[in-house]
Amino acid sequence: MKPLSRRHVLKGMGVTVALPFLEAMVPARRASGAVAAMKKTRLVCVEMVHGSAGSSAIGVRKNLWAPAAVGRDFDLAPTSLRSLEPFRDILTIVSNTDVDPANPFTAKEIGGDHFRSSCTFLTQAHPKQTQGGDVRCGVSLDQLYAQRFGQDTPIPSMQLCIENVDAAGGCGNGYSCVYTDAISWAAADRPLPMIRDPRVVFDRLFGVLENGATRAERAERLAEDRSILDWLLSSVARLAGTLGPADRSRLADYLEHVREIERRIQIIEARNRAGQLRELPSAPVGVPDSFSEHVKLMFDLQVLAFASDITRVFALKLGRDASNRSYPESGFKGTFHDTSHHGGKEEKILNFATLNTFHVGLMPYLLEKLKNTPDGNGSLLDDTLLMYGSPMGDSNLHNHKRVPFFMAGRAGGALPGGLHLKAPNGTPLANVMLSVLRAIGLEDLERFGDSEGAYNIGHGQPD
Amino acid sequence: MTSLTTMISVVALVAGLSGQHGKTDAAGLTGTWNMGLQGGHVIPVALVLEQNGEALTGTVSMPTQRIGQTVDVALKGEFAHGSFTLAGAIEGSKEPVTIEIRGKLNDEGMLEGTVTMGGRGEGHRDMPYTAERLKERSQ
Repeated sequence: MKPLSRRHVLKGMGVTVALPFLEAMVPARRASGAVAAMKKTRLVCVEMVHGSAGSSAIGVRKNLWAPAAVGRDFDLAPTSLRSLEPFRDILTIVSNTDVDPANPFTAKEIGGDHFRSSCTFLTQAHPKQTQGGDVRCGVSLDQLYAQRFGQDTPIPSMQLCIENVDAAGGCGNGYSCVYTDAISWAAADRPLPMIRDPRVVFDRLFGVLENGATRAERAERLAEDRSILDWLLSSVARLAGTLGPADRSRLADYLEHVREIERRIQIIEARNRAGQLRELPSAPVGVPDSFSEHVKLMFDLQVLAFASDITRVFALKLGRDASNRSYPESGFKGTFHDTSHHGGKEEKILNFATLNTFHVGLMPYLLEKLKNTPDGNGSLLDDTLLMYGSPMGDSNLHNHKRVPFFMAGRAGGALPGGLHLKAPNGTPLANVMLSVLRAIGLEDLERFGDSEGAYNIGHGQPD
Repeated sequence: MTSLTTMISVVALVAGLSGQHGKTDAAGLTGTWNMGLQGGHVIPVALVLEQNGEALTGTVSMPTQRIGQTVDVALKGEFAHGSFTLAGAIEGSKEPVTIEIRGKLNDEGMLEGTVTMGGRGEGHRDMPYTAERLKERSQ
């Protein structure tokens, strides 16, 4: 029997839903090899701004970010990474690296760290100081990967954010706001916009505005509070009739997951339309006021996209430089920007570490979801690489040394995991990123950003 | 709060200068320095100096209360016996805000000292700083 295409979709009025990985997609005679050939590393790049408490002098001494021990016997308990303990076997911490491209290169650039940093995180390139349309930085890591391995998916990559990043024009110190807001750059002069609204992500993943759907139809669907699955009933029934019991069950679970996420978005929209005072009054109705609820929803959407192979690459910007948002869910009520400028005082550094811990503490949610989502002979987690970091080190000093950075996931065997690697002083983070890119398939990449050479992410020695 | 003087956000204290003489390299103090003013937090500020014998001229780009905006202040001063003083004023209001920068070059090649701001009958506000020579590069 002819295998089902990996690109087979369920279609309804204005709706296209891609399928999860099904056994029916694998040619019967070469199942294991075919599965391996179909699997590709999924990449999630998460940026948090303002560095970490553990990048300060006191934070280094107290191991607030990087563990004391290098190698495999590291203790996460004092660090902001402690929530990752259940995933330590797939965790690779690389500490003591720098993001020099975020530093000022000229006198006029001094003081512009907040407006310049974010664009350097995934590009490791120094931006041109301009407020006009002649912006220039570098091609970002996620885009290098998407341009090579994302072209055979319906969406090569997606860029998501949690904070408002819609500012136009100049943001400060002569820098265009795109340097502050965009972490993904398809070309040195092409920053990619970020999506904040989970509804927009959902609609884009499931083609709600495509395949002939008009805006009026979309509005009608939203007004009726119906599910996209309502338009797929016959299509689902037709496909299910051709599947075996295991695939039918997997398809049902997947569609239920789609429905559950859609329902959550509808609940958030209804809540935000109810007219009650919002914590984020200017945010779209699809954006929950709760930071963790927003992040988790974005992660659920990413898992759905990976499961159905709609895209393999996500970039997620968790914060925005100089934001004064507070995170009461962390247990600390102080505002982010003020707290990150701790003045070198231990009490304030520990408060900032609480916020760092809270932000990192949301990553296990994604890892757990990936782990519990079947994919071929294993789970999505087997072939995913989560990269988390910041282009800033000690936010109180606005420096870019000892930046926080870790990776989770074995990326199909590219990373051994269970390691804390401490780089020699002055090592560019770009060296690590170059090694990662080579490990996940871009073997021919000679340089990345300001890299000076590769950094062996398997044992921490120069290649 | 619209005058230029009140927009200046820097604060400081008068720091006693030690009698230690810092060493100078061949370039003296000429160049661009990334100065970290220590207020509630460290504020990065550009200090551009030119040394001619004992005479110093330059500019310091002081931050304003509007994030991301600075005002350039012209400076004049001298470098003698290992220490230097620079003075300037932020014009644009009825009574200028004065800026005095005192410091020395330490053994690590960094400037350290105090910025003192005064004017408008508000007394003086002082702030310690360290400054690192900028590795100037083309973009």
